[in-house]
Amino acid sequence: MGAKEMAEKIKGEANGESEKIINEAKANAEKKLEDTKKELELQKKRFVEAEERKGIEEKERIVRAARQNARKLRWMAEEEIIEKALERALKHLKDVKSEGFEGNSYPNILAGLIKDSTMSITAGSSAGAELEVLLSEEDAAASYIDQAMLKNLTDEISHDSGGNVRLSLSDERIKSAGGVIVRRKDGEIEVNNTFEERMARLSTSLREEIVKTLFTGK
Amino acid sequence: MAVEALKIIRDAEEEGRKLLEEAKASVASMLKDAEEEVKRLKEKAREDEKSIASEISAKYIQEGKEEEAAILKTAEAEVKELKSATESDLDTAVNVVLEKILGVR
Repeated sequence: MGAKEMAEKIKGEANGESEKIINEAKANAEKKLEDTKKELELQKKRFVEAEERKGIEEKERIVRAARQNARKLRWMAEEEIIEKALERALKHLKDVKSEGFEGNSYPNILAGLIKDSTMSITAGSSAGAELEVLLSEEDAAASYIDQAMLKNLTDEISHDSGGNVRLSLSDERIKSAGGVIVRRKDGEIEVNNTFEERMARLSTSLREEIVKTLFTGK
Repeated sequence: MAVEALKIIRDAEEEGRKLLEEAKASVASMLKDAEEEVKRLKEKAREDEKSIASEISAKYIQEGKEEEAAILKTAEAEVKELKSATESDLDTAVNVVLEKILGVR
């Protein structure tokens, strides 16, 4: 082989090697770009999925809060109606003294409350009890309860309870819109059946009754 | 004669060496370009993510708000209906309250 041929061979080999290096690099660069694009596509897909989940959670949070607000609205409306019923009842209580209630005169209502209080005090005791009835100034002045009525009540209660009960009117006055307080003469036990106290004491059951009457099935 | 032959061969070797160096330089440039393209693609992807997040969030918030409005509208209508429906029974409820307070039940 002559020098020229050798030179051509050397150049040819160098050319080949050069092309090979460039082609390999080109292929590597293209692969790297392709890999990056694929990786970014996958990353984007995962990102979108994660953002969708976050979006759905946010939407559900808004809807949950709205449902809670809706329940609150209904609850507030019910409370408003319950308060309205209680306020109206309180207003009507003032008319009971003059008009009675469902065929019961105010003195009869007081008699019922005295009997109820007395039975509570004497419950479980067969011994005799001396009790006094406390009225408001207004009720005492109107003489809704007199000695004759107390005598009848005493007989009725003694008969029902089997004990010896004595009732008398106290000179002490109470501050109340109506109702009575009955207490043992020794002051040890008393039952407060004034309207205000009954309203407070029965508050839970009154509300339940109102709810049952007004909202059941609505 | 031999000297001339050697020169021809050396020149060819030099030319081959240059060719390889040029190839290597070309490869380096190619790789640099590829790296830059990768970097550009990643940056673009990051930018795209911001707008994608914003679009998706806005879409679901809008849907949530629409459902919220419908729920509250229904609730308000129900409250109105409840108030109207209970008005006629209010006196009955008042009587029940009075019966218990007055002890006539």
